[in-house]
Amino acid sequence: MSIKLGFTNSSIAFAVALLSLNMTVQAGVVYDYIKSNNELMIATDANWAPYSYINDAGEMEGFDVDVAKEIAKRMGVEARFITPSWDIITSGNWNMRWDVSVGSMTPTETRSEVLNFPAVYYYTPAAFAVHTDSPVTTLAGLNGKNICSTTASTWEMYLQGNLDMLDAPAFKYRVTPGTITSLVDGSACLDDTRLGAGIRNDGIIDSVPFIQNAIENGYPIRFLGENAFFEPLSVATDKGNDDPELDAEIARIIAQMKSDYTLTTLSMKWFKNADGSSNDYTNSY
Amino acid sequence: MFVDTVIEDKSLHKPAFLLGLSVAVLIFFFAFNFTDTVFGELLSPVIGNPKESGFFGRLVVSFVLSAIFVLNLFAISFARLRVQIFIVWIELFLLFLAFAFSFDLKFSFIQSKIGLMVSKGLFTTIYISAVSIVIATAIAIVGAIAKLSNNGFAYAIASFYTSLFRGLPLLLQVYLIYKGLPQLGFMVDAIPSGIAALSLCYGAYMTEIFRAGIQSIPKGQWEASRALGFRFSLILRKIILPQAIPIIVPPTGNQFIAMLKDSSLVSVLGIWELMYMAKTLGQRDFRHMEMLLTAAMIYWGLTIILEMIQARIERKYQQKT
Repeated sequence: MSIKLGFTNSSIAFAVALLSLNMTVQAGVVYDYIKSNNELMIATDANWAPYSYINDAGEMEGFDVDVAKEIAKRMGVEARFITPSWDIITSGNWNMRWDVSVGSMTPTETRSEVLNFPAVYYYTPAAFAVHTDSPVTTLAGLNGKNICSTTASTWEMYLQGNLDMLDAPAFKYRVTPGTITSLVDGSACLDDTRLGAGIRNDGIIDSVPFIQNAIENGYPIRFLGENAFFEPLSVATDKGNDDPELDAEIARIIAQMKSDYTLTTLSMKWFKNADGSSNDYTNSY
Repeated sequence: MFVDTVIEDKSLHKPAFLLGLSVAVLIFFFAFNFTDTVFGELLSPVIGNPKESGFFGRLVVSFVLSAIFVLNLFAISFARLRVQIFIVWIELFLLFLAFAFSFDLKFSFIQSKIGLMVSKGLFTTIYISAVSIVIATAIAIVGAIAKLSNNGFAYAIASFYTSLFRGLPLLLQVYLIYKGLPQLGFMVDAIPSGIAALSLCYGAYMTEIFRAGIQSIPKGQWEASRALGFRFSLILRKIILPQAIPIIVPPTGNQFIAMLKDSSLVSVLGIWELMYMAKTLGQRDFRHMEMLLTAAMIYWGLTIILEMIQARIERKYQQKT
C-alpha cells in the first residue's frame, strides 16, 4: 500500500510508509480509491497530436483524451489528466500516482511484466517516412541508414528487432537500420527530418495518423513503402497495484463503447486522410 | 575594480591597430560568405545578381560589412562610457532580434499561446523556484553551521550531504527522487519531487557558500566576542552573520538565478511549467521555434529582474560596511 502525500506532514507520512512497506495490496483497492475520490487519474502524452495534446485553452484534447473522458464518464467519475514522459509510463510502478494509461499503448511481453492490458480499443498501422527530397524509394533503401523513433516505443523495438507484441498480426522486419536515434517523442524526430534528407536522420518510423497530421501541417515528408506493421492499442493499468476489479470494469466499458460505435465515431472524428475522408481504426486486422 | 590613473590613448585611435582590426574583420567576413544574404541583395546595384557575382561580389560584400563594423566601433569610441555601454547593448540586442526573426516566426501564433504560457507555465515556474529557494536557504544555514561545528556527527552528515548532492547531476536527482522514493513506499507527486530535488541540490551548493562566508570572518572576531562573555548563538547572530552576509549575498543571488533556470529540468516529470509548455504548445501546429523563443524571452526577463534585485541588495550591504 502506498500513501499520497504533500510535503507538509512528510515525516509522519514517511514513518507510516515505512511501517506499511510489507503490507500487500488488496484486490479492488485502486478502483475503490477512484470511486471514493470521484476522480480517474489518466496518464497520457501531451505532445502527440492528434491523439493527445494541449489546446489553446490549456486543456487536453485528442482521440485518446476523448476515449479517456468517456471511460471516466461511464465509471461515473471525473477525468483528470497527468502528463509524465512516455518512458516513465511504460516502466510501470506507478504507485497510484495515476490510475490508468489511455495513451495508445501496444501490449508487449516486456511491458506486460509490469503492466496489465485490460482492453484493446483500436488498431493503427505504423509506417516509415522520409524527407520529400530523399533519394530513398523503397524500404530496403533504408537498410544501414539512421532512423529516428520515440524512446521506449514499439517503433524503436521494431528497429531493434525485438518487438514482442501480444495478440498482434504477424509482421516481418523489413528494415535493418545502421543507427537508431531515439528521441523523447515523434515530433522531436520530425523536426530533425524536416532539416533535410540525411542531415540528422534518414527517416522516421511512427504511427500513420501522426505522420499524416505532420504532412497536413506542411512538413516536407512522405510515406515510404507499405505499412511496416499493425499494432493493437490498449488501455494499461499498473501490475504493481494489481486490481482485477478495475481491469474488469475497463474491459466492460471498452466492449460497450465498441458495440455502441462510440469508438468508431471518435476514430472518424480524429483520424482524417489527406483527401478529407475519415478512418475507422477500431476494426481488428 | 581598480581605477587606473595612467591614461593611455585608446587603441581604437591608433592607425596601426585600426588597420589590423580592419584586415582581421575583412578576413572574417570573407571567410563566411554573406553574398547570399540580405546584404548581397542590398548591394546588388554594385555587384549585380548576388548568385552570379562570384569572387568580386564576395569581396565587395565583406569589404562593406567590415567597413561598417570598424566605423561603428570608431564612432562609438568617442562617446562617453555610459553612452558606449548603452549603444553596444542596443546593437547586440538588435543582432539577437535579427537572429530570432530569421526563423520566419508566426506572431499571431505566439499571441494566441502567450496567455496560457504566462498563466500556467510562468506561474508554475515561479511557484516551484520560490518554494525551492526558501527551502534551500534553510537547508544551507543548517548545513553551514553543521559543517563548521566540532560535532563529529553533524559534520559527517553535512559533508556527506554536500558531497553527494553536489556530485550528482540535477536531472539524475530529479529522476531518483521521483522514481526511487515510491519504491520505498514513500509516495511523492511530481511537483513535490521536483521541489525536493531542486532544494536538496541547491541547498548543497549554498551550504558551501554560507560556510565559506562565515569562515572568511577573522578568528579574532570570535575570540574577542568570547572574551566579552557572549554565548555562541548570540555571537553567530549578532556579530558573525552580519559581517558574513555581504560576502554571501552575491554568490547566493547567482544561485537563485541558476535555480530559476534549472527549474526547467523538472519538465521531464510532466509538470506544466514554462519549459514544458514551450515544448508542448507548439506541437499541434508544428510551430516549436515560436514557443521556444517565447520561453527564452520570458526566462531572460525574469533573470534580468532578479539581477536588478540582487544589485540593489548588494548596494545596501556595501553602504553599511
